[in-house]
Amino acid sequence: MRRLWALYLKEMLESVRSYKLIWIPVVFIVLGIMQPLVSFYMADILAFSSNVPAGLMENMERPAASSVMAQALGQYGTIGMLILVLGTMNSLAGERSSGTSELLMAKPVSSISVVAAKWTANFTVLVIAIGLGAAGAAYYTVQLMGALSWRDVIAASGLYALWLLCAVSLTLLFSAWLRGPAAAGLSLLLAAVMSLVHGLLPVKLNWMPASLPGMSAGVLADGGTGVSLAPIVSAVLLIIICIAGASLMAGRNKLPV
Amino acid sequence: MPLLMVKDLHKSFKGHPSVNGISFGIEAGRCVALLGPNGAGKTTTLRMLAGLLPQTAGTITFGGGSPGTDYRQYLGYLPQAPAFYNWMSGHEYILFAARMSGMNAREAAAASGAVLERVGLGSAARRRIGGYSGGMKQRLGLGQALVHRPRLLLLDEPVSALDPIGRREVMELLRDIREETTVIFSTHVLHDAEEICDDVVLMNKGTIAVQGTLSSLRAEYSLPVIRLTTGKEDSAIRWLEALRHKDFIEEALISDGKAVFNVTDVELARRTLLQEAVELDIPLLQFEAGSSTLEDLFMKVVGT
Repeated sequence: MRRLWALYLKEMLESVRSYKLIWIPVVFIVLGIMQPLVSFYMADILAFSSNVPAGLMENMERPAASSVMAQALGQYGTIGMLILVLGTMNSLAGERSSGTSELLMAKPVSSISVVAAKWTANFTVLVIAIGLGAAGAAYYTVQLMGALSWRDVIAASGLYALWLLCAVSLTLLFSAWLRGPAAAGLSLLLAAVMSLVHGLLPVKLNWMPASLPGMSAGVLADGGTGVSLAPIVSAVLLIIICIAGASLMAGRNKLPV
Repeated sequence: MPLLMVKDLHKSFKGHPSVNGISFGIEAGRCVALLGPNGAGKTTTLRMLAGLLPQTAGTITFGGGSPGTDYRQYLGYLPQAPAFYNWMSGHEYILFAARMSGMNAREAAAASGAVLERVGLGSAARRRIGGYSGGMKQRLGLGQALVHRPRLLLLDEPVSALDPIGRREVMELLRDIREETTVIFSTHVLHDAEEICDDVVLMNKGTIAVQGTLSSLRAEYSLPVIRLTTGKEDSAIRWLEALRHKDFIEEALISDGKAVFNVTDVELARRTLLQEAVELDIPLLQFEAGSSTLEDLFMKVVGT
């Protein structure tokens, strides 16, 4: 435990020194508040562009607060995920290729504590980013669009965060033996494939972690009547498998190739 | 009971043998040089000793324990090209290394301050490692290997990449360190080995060619040698070639007007050679009679 804590502090210090702990939350905040702002001013934006068909403006309705919030969280599924994955891809691969892991692993440290510390540090960054981002999005949505249930916002953000955490954990697993960019590419591809497969067979595969974003939007739309436990359990299992696999692979691959 | 026992250690990479059955024992308190040319398997051996590479076959026993137990907590290891976290300061890195060795925060703080002073980084401790020179990084590497007072120190080419001043600094540190712990260091610079070590393990092509204490190797392998250089005239070259067949010459290495003869009797050889050189009017440029060095042994073992 003593070593795990020291390793975690080292990871967080790196996040601060490399500004990762600043720029990732900043991007999440910008993405989050863009959605309510754009939705609110869409009518004005269209009015300023001269060639809008005459009938269009009259039929335009301002979207509901809950759907704007769901769209804001939806931003995190694409650009947000990309940024988190890029921020994670070098956490094991970088130590291996630069050679710092050779010095680290010559110390009496277990590879599971190294991986667990990295995972927890990335988890911390993710929680801070999505916490601040969702808070910003919710604040502007409430100011511009109307009331939201804070409980639903927190639940929906949590479900979305769990899905993003799956992608981050996959990246950590792949970076235990692949190069950073390859690890990022593979985990993004896998996340995309999971979403696609789930999209094709939504009823049969609603236990998959990929159904978490849909569930998150559902919580905002109807207050959480459609929440099931299965995707949460499968996501947690996936994450545990990723951490275990990453520890196993990191224990074997200690040296720069 | 030796501190470290290595028995029939093998390592192959994809079928290609890198270390091919080496055995040696190291007594506590000794300083051992692992010598050999590039590609002899020194780094692979040290990485196996440090627990970074699993061996293909063979056993490593530390401190009388059973083979295969994790003894990393008693170990200090410095790789050939140590890579640090450049965003850390020297002090932060040593503190981190101390914590990784199992010290608590208070012990680590006390030990890291002392070790930084010892390796001469006291004044640079607060600077980022990214701005350190090669010599400073090597000293930082020694510091992180020493901070938890290891029983065995493994150093892979600790001075090979340094300039003469950096080399001097690290060698002085090693001379100091070897008084209090057991040291194994690899090098291809023979002079470094002769300077500070007690024992020599000479590796070539994955096997141990020669091993023993430095003094016993000197006694056993030092041969009477005569080195001479002549002008490049034909007569001189012909004379050198003809010398091969003299009785007192055991082995001759001749190239380009330079010759090294292993002889049975230095006195006889010196008299005969000088006499002949005068009679035949050979343009001698250099003449040296003495005994062979570790370098000659190295060349002999590696060259064949």
